[in-house]
Amino acid sequence: MSRMNMVEALNNGLHLGMRENENVVLLGEDVGLLGGVFRVSAGLQETFGTDRVLDTPLSETGIIASAIGMALYGLRPIAEIQFADFAFPAFDQIINELAKYRYRSGNQLTTPVLVRMPVGGGVGGGLYHSQSPESHFAHTAGLKVVIPSNPYDAKGLLLAALREQDPVIFLEPKKLYRTTSAEVPDGAFTVPIGSARRVREGTDVTLICYGAMVPLAEDVARRAAEEQIQVDVLDLRSLLPLDIETVLASVQKTHRIVIVHEAPRTCGYGAELASLIVEKAFWSLDAPILRVTGFDTPFPYRLEKEYLPTSDRILDALRTTVAA
Amino acid sequence: MAVISYLDAISHALREEMRRDPTVFLMGEDIGVFGGAFKVTRGFIEEFGEERVIDTPISESGFTGAACGAAIMGFRPVVEFQFADFIACAFDQIVNFAAKCYYRWGIPVPVVFRGPSGGGFRGGPYHSQNPEAWFTHVAGLKVVQPSTPYEAKGLLKAAIRDNNPVIYLEHKHLYRRIREEVPDEDFEIPIGVADVKRDGTDLTIVTYGAMVHTCLGVAERLAAEGAEIEVVDLRSLAPLDKDTILASVSKTGKALVVHEAQLTSGIGGEVAAIIVESCWDALDAPVKRIGALDVPIPFSPTLEDAVLPSEGKIEATARELLEY
Repeated sequence: MSRMNMVEALNNGLHLGMRENENVVLLGEDVGLLGGVFRVSAGLQETFGTDRVLDTPLSETGIIASAIGMALYGLRPIAEIQFADFAFPAFDQIINELAKYRYRSGNQLTTPVLVRMPVGGGVGGGLYHSQSPESHFAHTAGLKVVIPSNPYDAKGLLLAALREQDPVIFLEPKKLYRTTSAEVPDGAFTVPIGSARRVREGTDVTLICYGAMVPLAEDVARRAAEEQIQVDVLDLRSLLPLDIETVLASVQKTHRIVIVHEAPRTCGYGAELASLIVEKAFWSLDAPILRVTGFDTPFPYRLEKEYLPTSDRILDALRTTVAA
Repeated sequence: MAVISYLDAISHALREEMRRDPTVFLMGEDIGVFGGAFKVTRGFIEEFGEERVIDTPISESGFTGAACGAAIMGFRPVVEFQFADFIACAFDQIVNFAAKCYYRWGIPVPVVFRGPSGGGFRGGPYHSQNPEAWFTHVAGLKVVQPSTPYEAKGLLKAAIRDNNPVIYLEHKHLYRRIREEVPDEDFEIPIGVADVKRDGTDLTIVTYGAMVHTCLGVAERLAAEGAEIEVVDLRSLAPLDKDTILASVSKTGKALVVHEAQLTSGIGGEVAAIIVESCWDALDAPVKRIGALDVPIPFSPTLEDAVLPSEGKIEATARELLEY
């Protein structure tokens, strides 16, 4: 065990993954010589050489397309998109090629590409370095979508994703890269994709969140407890596939739901989650499901604090739900 | 009044707007000399010349970027994607540039992006997609999808006159199948206003595009058994006409959302979530959704029929809801 922040845990996971399997290669903008803009890939090129850690031109389409080709020929590429905001130039490659290969080839070909991308706000990044595009990918059959909220899950999910036979969109909340550290095993371990984590046990209301909203939710749950509201906090960790069993078990216990995410509200992942819960557990609900989210505007630079869900907004939603 | 097809209605709207406003021009693949893959712009290059009807290279990103530039310089370009599936290649230009430009600079980008969307005619995974939910999650875009010739004409005129980027999705399965009388004189259908296509008291079906006709068929069949189903045609997917949706569900107490796009993270999630948030006390049953299965659209006719929402599936779910 060592104390690691999320960057260190990911870096450690990448080292292990590349050592374990010589077919694992890393490609992206500045991932080699510089070690990545967030230093997640620091030291990898020195250790594994320029054949396995490739600095690419600024062409996200090219990065993903090359990774698909490598995967079809037996490699296990890890493609880094420097900020999730820039996944959009590669959108066609991701949703029309990467996601559809297994289906199109009648199960003859797979594209086990792990696409890493830093997501979310809270770092003063403005509208092109703060977006949370998860619901675009959740609307795309053929992809898996995961998002860790702590160093342990980051490493475990990364190593699990490297063992997948299908493409995984791996979202890294950049706000959490260095804000907290935790004890993380030095060796290899996995956190299964498709399993949520109960962060805090409660009986009055379920707070469902993921990524950078998880530590915030824990703070809010502590504040709520002072008002005698006991909050069950779930960290989804995996958005596609979704651990619906854990979600429904919590609904059966608390009967009240608040969903939190950073992405804009309309057609965000919270909408999918709310409607799934209504479909599967309508008669267990005692109150409407509330969503606390980013607003339907581009991500603001000056108004970032107002845009992102705050402790007060979440607490208000919890109070409203419990009172309903 | 003349009886015209859905395709004619689109064509007439384009021609009338080009005659009315010299800043309106068209760009797209094969829209000029060839008259468009579906012949929407047949005869246009002869009438308006090649400066206003521009055949572009096969580069969606390129002509989308060019159109945004022209819009900033005072033009009103209408861009045709040959199939809506290929709008993914221009995703970054639309989502990161067109949608955000007014927010960033206060400069409007009045571009209309036309995309023939939808399946049901054996087009396979790349000529059948319904990409609307990728765009309704993006602040700064309007998204419409007409279901009749009258709406096709009125919404396209409104889209061209709008100062914001509008994604105009035309369901290609309606092109020549649906015909009706459309006024010869100039008219607009405001973006953001849904239309109740059939009045009812027992169940609300919220839908749009080609599914409107499928749902009306189901409603007629069940009316023979005494069930009165209200069918709400959204017409505008962003912004959503929440008032019309909520008024209908408040009356009927039951809601079914139907769309042709894949279920997970589709617009149905947002509509259901809004209904649950705002109509909780009126609900007598869980809000249900029907969408395509979460797979790429199959080429095989048998599989395509199994994947897309069918009258049978809609009827079965409607019956289930009517029994509550």
